[in-house]
Amino acid sequence: MEVSPMSEENTTTLFGREFGEFSSRTTAVVAAIVALAATFAAGIAFPDSIAGTLTDILTSEGTLSSALRLSVPIALAALGGIFAEKSGVINIGLEGLLIISAFTAIYVTDITGGVWIGFVGGVVASVLLALLFAIVVIEFRADQIIAGLAVWLIALGLAPFASQVIYGRPNSPSVDTPGTIAIPVLSDIPFFGALFDASPTVYLMFAAVALSWYVLNRTTFGRWVRASGENPKALDTAGVDVSRIRYAAVLLSGVLAGMGGAALSLDLGQFTGNGPTMVNGKGFIAIVAYLFGNYNPVGAFFSTLLFAGLDAMQTVLQLQGIGLPRQLIRIIPFVMVIVVLAFVGRTRIPAAAGEHYDTGDDNR
Amino acid sequence: MATAVHLDGITKRFPGVIANDDVDLSVERGTVHALLGENGAGKTTLMNVLYGLYRPTEGRVVIDDEERRFESPRDAIDAGVGMIHQHFMLVDPMTVTENITLGNEPTKWGNLAVDRDAAREAVVELSDKYGFDVDPDARVEDISVGEQQRVEILKALYRGAEILILDEPTAVLTPQEVEELFEVFEELTEQGKTIIFISHKLGEAMRAADEITVLRDGRNVGTVEADDTTREDLANLMVGREVLLDIEKPPTETGETILSVSDISVDDDRGVRAVDDVSFDVSAGEVFGIAGVDGNGQSELIEALTGLRKPKRGGITFRGEDVTKRSRQHRIDSGMAYIPEDRHERGLVMDFDLVENAILGSQHNPAFESGGRIDWNATRSHAEDIIEKYDVRPPNPEAISESLSGGNQQKFIVGREFERDPALVVASHPTRGVDVGSIEFIHEQLLELRSRGVAVLLVSSKLDEVQGLSDRLGVMYEGEIIDVVDPSNTTEEELGLLMAGEHPDDDDTDVSAADVDSVATGGESQ
Repeated sequence: MEVSPMSEENTTTLFGREFGEFSSRTTAVVAAIVALAATFAAGIAFPDSIAGTLTDILTSEGTLSSALRLSVPIALAALGGIFAEKSGVINIGLEGLLIISAFTAIYVTDITGGVWIGFVGGVVASVLLALLFAIVVIEFRADQIIAGLAVWLIALGLAPFASQVIYGRPNSPSVDTPGTIAIPVLSDIPFFGALFDASPTVYLMFAAVALSWYVLNRTTFGRWVRASGENPKALDTAGVDVSRIRYAAVLLSGVLAGMGGAALSLDLGQFTGNGPTMVNGKGFIAIVAYLFGNYNPVGAFFSTLLFAGLDAMQTVLQLQGIGLPRQLIRIIPFVMVIVVLAFVGRTRIPAAAGEHYDTGDDNR
Repeated sequence: MATAVHLDGITKRFPGVIANDDVDLSVERGTVHALLGENGAGKTTLMNVLYGLYRPTEGRVVIDDEERRFESPRDAIDAGVGMIHQHFMLVDPMTVTENITLGNEPTKWGNLAVDRDAAREAVVELSDKYGFDVDPDARVEDISVGEQQRVEILKALYRGAEILILDEPTAVLTPQEVEELFEVFEELTEQGKTIIFISHKLGEAMRAADEITVLRDGRNVGTVEADDTTREDLANLMVGREVLLDIEKPPTETGETILSVSDISVDDDRGVRAVDDVSFDVSAGEVFGIAGVDGNGQSELIEALTGLRKPKRGGITFRGEDVTKRSRQHRIDSGMAYIPEDRHERGLVMDFDLVENAILGSQHNPAFESGGRIDWNATRSHAEDIIEKYDVRPPNPEAISESLSGGNQQKFIVGREFERDPALVVASHPTRGVDVGSIEFIHEQLLELRSRGVAVLLVSSKLDEVQGLSDRLGVMYEGEIIDVVDPSNTTEEELGLLMAGEHPDDDDTDVSAADVDSVATGGESQ
């Protein structure tokens, strides 16, 4: 093995990463803004056209409000995914963590009667499953992708099964929800008022995004997490235990995804376990969201908001009817995921992501 | 003077191997000590014992007159021992400051945040103290290898290292950067630091060290004052017998053009142009060398010639036939032998035995194959021939490739390729990571082929090697062959400048030492 040349390395990073990524992402954002502006212009000019309907939907407070609600599980799972992958462990099992916490939160709320006790219960379930995943991949060197898929499949089978055993059907009965908290005055602002009249889980998401960014970029722990995913050996020789950092990061992803799953089911007051369950791919969309956000918690939040916004929009569109079959409208967010994936190619993945690390695997 | 490091009777056994056998080593404070030896002589193992990565089976580690038992590198760091590994332990996307302080970040607000100003200040202060020129805010991936090495040294100093161990520090540097590193050594020892560096290059050890210890087969076979010894003495100590250091190259007649490369351009894996419009010819009975710092397009060029990578433009003519679009198999069959630069990746299947490895590339040769079945008897005797003729040890065709030392693996590859009776040998770093004895042998074999009228294309980042073996020498820099020189009429300094991309003909003034410095730093900041 040879150390790569610097001169060559320099030019590629300059052009391949910074410039390339910048331009493709900027193009995408600019294109989206132009499309949006065109829709608005057409919508205002011809209020009865499809563009008019779209403008109505996009500017309604209800759309923002439901986009925020739909964002919560995706954004929190994405934050969890960032911590795990930045530390070098690709956690593809986020979907499973969401499912297990969604069910457990409802179950615990049902038996204790406390919504927030249920919330904590959901988080604990997710952390336990994440711990299992961590042990399997860190201690026993299992392939991270396969173990992650196993986490998903375990949860996908376990949660509806448990519901079947406990409630006699895959869907749970309804329980209390956390309700909403409205901030006086601010919640009366048109459109943006939705930001201040929301479920406590939405505020929790905002706090988690900010806190995650801070932890990752400003604390020693965050720095060690990043080093662990880029060059674990450097971290090890600097005297920091790589396994411990990775355990901490994976467990943290369990906490965050658990919060997301619990928020998802508790906000609706019910767990539905048919087919792909109520989580329905949100864990996988979370992965796309953080990749598109280039592992930046704030970027991941905004790409989440994009998916969630489209999801909210398609729900309203289905009800209003714009002459398109509902099935086609329903796939809009997923088409967007595929379009976005085309831009993800420029994301810089942590160099050691997916690789096992053991102290003492020396190059002697 | 006080003894900074005293290793007393260190023995380190691994299952089935004694890596260090009762080694004594004493290093005075404020001196530079070179640890010299062939590959597998136990140099790195010994230093890993000193750095706490390994625990010695027997023996004592004494630092500053105090016996130490290191459980981990952490303990060694606490005792003031720092190690700079051959492969840098740096996090590429992080800044110089972040790398230097990694694991020991100054914090503020009760550990809630990294104190980035304090970290930066500490780094600036440290690099000023030792006269290092590094930008604390530059990202590690954007700076040169020489600078990265200085970052590694600063990292050790930041952790309070008094004793610095460097494992083959010059392997990745240009001659000018090596010179700068040795100046850093002087600065450090003046300020009381102790340096131990591992090397297998005799000249470097003599140039930079105060004392030299030679290890052979895990034993200390002698510690000498650098001023009282000669290259020959050191080589004999290393190998345990007389070694011919200078390459004797008899004159030969060059024949027809065997390989002709015209205006070839090749992209690397990331789609970035790695080879840009390169043309050259290699004739029968001639060694055409390509020198250059690793990664200036040599690998991609070689891969294009051997059929492992598609060139974007240009043509390759081999023995009068345009082979640009022909397969690898076709090129092997028409007489192109190839010694790859990475023998683990491309030369051998590491968990196959030597018999199986002997047939690689010849699997369609009727001598070893009939009706889709491999004739294992013929293959086996072929492997035995290679082993005998090329002195591969242990002489066991059933040995798994991985169990052989690097030098013996390389000799086996060389044997396999040369036994194809080639018209052209493409040898890419044929002696990388190979011990002195095997290097000598491989050089002899290459020259032997040359005298038989075989064309040889030699790529190497070792200057003495390409200079000594080549009849004509092309220097590659950033994907281009910037000059083709007569190696016997060119000095190492001139080659070093060419390798750094500086063409002496560009300016008419003589190249002074000051220019050399500015070239080296100028190249880094780009």
